[in-house]
Amino acid sequence: MSLLASHNPSAIPGARFMDPVVLARIGNLSLVARAVVDGFINGLHKAPYFGASVDFAEHRGYVPGDDIRRVDWRLWARTDRYYVKEYEAESNMNFSVLLDVSKSMDYGSIGITKLDYARMLTACLTNLVHHQRDRVGFIAFDEDVVEHVPPSAKHMETVLHVLDRIKPGRPGRLREPLHKLAEHFGRRGVLVVISDFYEDPETVVDAVTPLRFRGNDLIVFHVLDPAELDFGFSNASAFEDLESGEQMPVVPEAMRKEYISLVRAHVDALQQRFSEVRVDYALLDTSKPLDHALFRFLTGREKKLRLR
Amino acid sequence: MSFLAPLFFVALAALAIPVLIHLIQREKKQVVRFPSLMFVQRVPYKSVRRRRIHNWLLLMVRLTALALIVLAFSRPFLQRDDLNTAVGTGAREVVVLLDQSYSMAYGDHWDRARAAAQNVINTLGPDDRASVVLFSSGAEIALRSAAPGERQRLAAAITAAKPGAGATRYAPALKVAGSILADTSLPRREVVLISDFQRGGWRGEEGARLPEGTTVTPVAISGAAEAANVAVTGISLARSTFSNQERVAVTAVAVNRSMRSLRGGQLSLEFGGRSIQSKPLDVEANSSASVTFDPVTVAGTFMRGSVRAGDDALATDNVFHFVVSPVQPVRVIVVDRGGTGGGALYLNRALAIGDAPRFETVSRDQDALSDDDLRRASVVVLNDIAVPAALARRLQRFVEGGGGLFVAIGSRATWSQDVEILPAVLQAPVDRTRGDAARIGALEYGHPVFEPFRAPRSGDFAAARIYGYRTVMPAADAQVLARFDGGAPALLERRIGAGRVLLWASTLDLSWNDFPLKPVYLPFVHRAARHLASYSEPAPWLTVGQVLDTSVGAASQPVSGVVLTPSGRRVAVDEEGAEVLELTEQGFYEVRAQSGDTVNAVVASNVDTAESDLTAMDPKEIVAAATSGGPSGRQAGAAGLPPTPEVQERSQRLWWYVLFIGILLLGADTLISNRMSKA
Repeated sequence: MSLLASHNPSAIPGARFMDPVVLARIGNLSLVARAVVDGFINGLHKAPYFGASVDFAEHRGYVPGDDIRRVDWRLWARTDRYYVKEYEAESNMNFSVLLDVSKSMDYGSIGITKLDYARMLTACLTNLVHHQRDRVGFIAFDEDVVEHVPPSAKHMETVLHVLDRIKPGRPGRLREPLHKLAEHFGRRGVLVVISDFYEDPETVVDAVTPLRFRGNDLIVFHVLDPAELDFGFSNASAFEDLESGEQMPVVPEAMRKEYISLVRAHVDALQQRFSEVRVDYALLDTSKPLDHALFRFLTGREKKLRLR
Repeated sequence: MSFLAPLFFVALAALAIPVLIHLIQREKKQVVRFPSLMFVQRVPYKSVRRRRIHNWLLLMVRLTALALIVLAFSRPFLQRDDLNTAVGTGAREVVVLLDQSYSMAYGDHWDRARAAAQNVINTLGPDDRASVVLFSSGAEIALRSAAPGERQRLAAAITAAKPGAGATRYAPALKVAGSILADTSLPRREVVLISDFQRGGWRGEEGARLPEGTTVTPVAISGAAEAANVAVTGISLARSTFSNQERVAVTAVAVNRSMRSLRGGQLSLEFGGRSIQSKPLDVEANSSASVTFDPVTVAGTFMRGSVRAGDDALATDNVFHFVVSPVQPVRVIVVDRGGTGGGALYLNRALAIGDAPRFETVSRDQDALSDDDLRRASVVVLNDIAVPAALARRLQRFVEGGGGLFVAIGSRATWSQDVEILPAVLQAPVDRTRGDAARIGALEYGHPVFEPFRAPRSGDFAAARIYGYRTVMPAADAQVLARFDGGAPALLERRIGAGRVLLWASTLDLSWNDFPLKPVYLPFVHRAARHLASYSEPAPWLTVGQVLDTSVGAASQPVSGVVLTPSGRRVAVDEEGAEVLELTEQGFYEVRAQSGDTVNAVVASNVDTAESDLTAMDPKEIVAAATSGGPSGRQAGAAGLPPTPEVQERSQRLWWYVLFIGILLLGADTLISNRMSKA
């Protein structure tokens, strides 16, 4: 039934399983991010995908003020000159999370809302990236830009604070805020878009792809509640749209099959279109642990690096 | 339709429970908030609405079942009468009660009252019948149950009515209305009560109850501008004698029953329609003042006097009428041995004292007592004389004609055996000169003669010492009013025809006792003479509503003749029939002989001054008292008998069917809901 049913968390060697519902109860985003990420990094050490985080770039002549610990003593032994070794680290990367905080994200059937899940995901990713001394930024949007934290190495705490403060309020639209933001990102970096994408696949892709234009890496997380995926309601009831407030009577048993097939077609279409424009797309089920998302993110990054 | 236990209708509130559950379920449980209906809306719409319609059906079935069960518990039953009266349609029997007491003459009250009555007549429907009842202290049907075609007569009756001199009494009017309504066959009964609703007219009377289902509409005529309202409520006459002429001083009491004080008013005394004196009158609000006029000589009989205060909004009570006549003395003949009055010294002296009444005493020898003397006298005193049969017979006629006879017996007194008018038969004298003297005890204080001595320390008869008395044998119909201490009768009374005879078993001088020296002697003699003469103070005035006794003021015998009312109406009064006449007008009534213009009596008639107190009451009080449901006599059958238990049970059996239908509906509800849940 679920599209993610094939993803068994225990299939990832060493991944610490933590139920997102339990994490949600901890409440402190900073603590949650650290706990999840620490466990994740520990697990990665044993993983076959561990790559070079820093690469040697060049030598340059020592100038007073440089840390003498960075002097290449071997080279000094050969040449009798002081050279300093420089590494090409990834820490000069801009990393921004674009989080959809529209009203529809404020839904959860299992004790955690999609927005809470997305918050923790953002916190974890930000924490992870911050550990690598990359610059972190954050943008919240619904039908317009709600919060904007520009990327900076010092903005980790700010991001967590803003993340904690945001509240879903307005209906969401992807095209206007994302197009506006696409002009804003001048410097290359990694952009993560987290949303529930309740729009036509064409519209979604049309809204998201401009973010890639300046050479940004783009990762898209599609967050959905299990109830949205398998439509597990039983009683006939009036369904109310969270965003528009519109109501309509629904007999779930009578329409479950059709609904599931419609959602599946939607997800498939998104996957198809995003792969065409070379955007990483991942569907996240809020009942699954956060490790999945992090794992996907890093493997995706790994592939990108290899391709480069 | 009525209910035995209407309190059960409170349980109808339970009807809200299913509705509430329905609403709560719709609002809280049945609404699912979902992120987006994007996909839901794309699903074809066909299978969505059915269930809600079924819910409505179920809800209605359940509500109906609940309501029927509650209805059954409240025990409905049908009444035949309800079928007629419950519906507010059908012809009306309207009784217009129009207050014509003299307080309605206040300001424009009467015009407004008449307009209100006309208004009621004008709004009558084509099938309605109406009656007009005019009432004050009594009620008078001006027109009874006039048919639809007689509207003109109704209007004419209202136009012809005018305020009288009576005081307001609501109970008689309501009783008359009740009797009219009880006779009607029309389904709707209405009473329109047009009055100024004075507090004084209603004493919460019982019995003034209208037939059940009667509507009472009070029309209160009140609220005119409050002006000073002065009433002359009474006078007192102080008589005096001045150079052999009788004079009378009139003191009048004026009451101001409004919230404004009266300044600079005039109070005038009139005799025979001419103003004699006038005095300034100042009365504070809600208080009274008395004014004393200078003495006036009483010139003749039946002087018609009036005390008049100026004009105000309610003029009727501003004048007070009275009649003054010279005091008529009571003529007493003392029959004595020798006719000198020497033996009756104490008696004569005692009777010579006093003004009210004045006694005119004449002493006669028993042989010199003429018929003319007897005709003029009211009382004859026989002071210890031997009475022969001829005199006894004359005295018998005198007493039977209404005269009074006082017989004092000493050693000489005898009485003819042939004439039995004495209260007792005379027997031997008793000598108490030796040993203790006899005393008077055991008085009949209830009798008019001894009534003033009833209170303690108001006369000690036991102080008199009686040395000798005659034993007497009381007659069968005689009453012993006093006894000596030995039990022998001392004073006896016997009624003979229209007159009375008093027998004193001792003497009225000092020969047998020292009674004349005691303080109680004078009042005793006066009381006895008054009683024998049937003397009563003539009332200077009467009040409207009282009865005119045509013998008032006349010498003693009833008068036959005509009565001339203040408005000039002549009412014939004869000895056989209507000897009495109710006073209905304010002014002077003249009683005249049948032929000729001889005025036998004049009676002043005044309005009831309680009516001038215009304090209003709440009409609802009268309405509630008149229409309050009495014991439900309606349920009884036509014969007035209570229905048998079977009949009662049959008329109440409805609840059982209602309950049965309710339970059936509940069963149907179960079936429907089962069917639906399966589907």
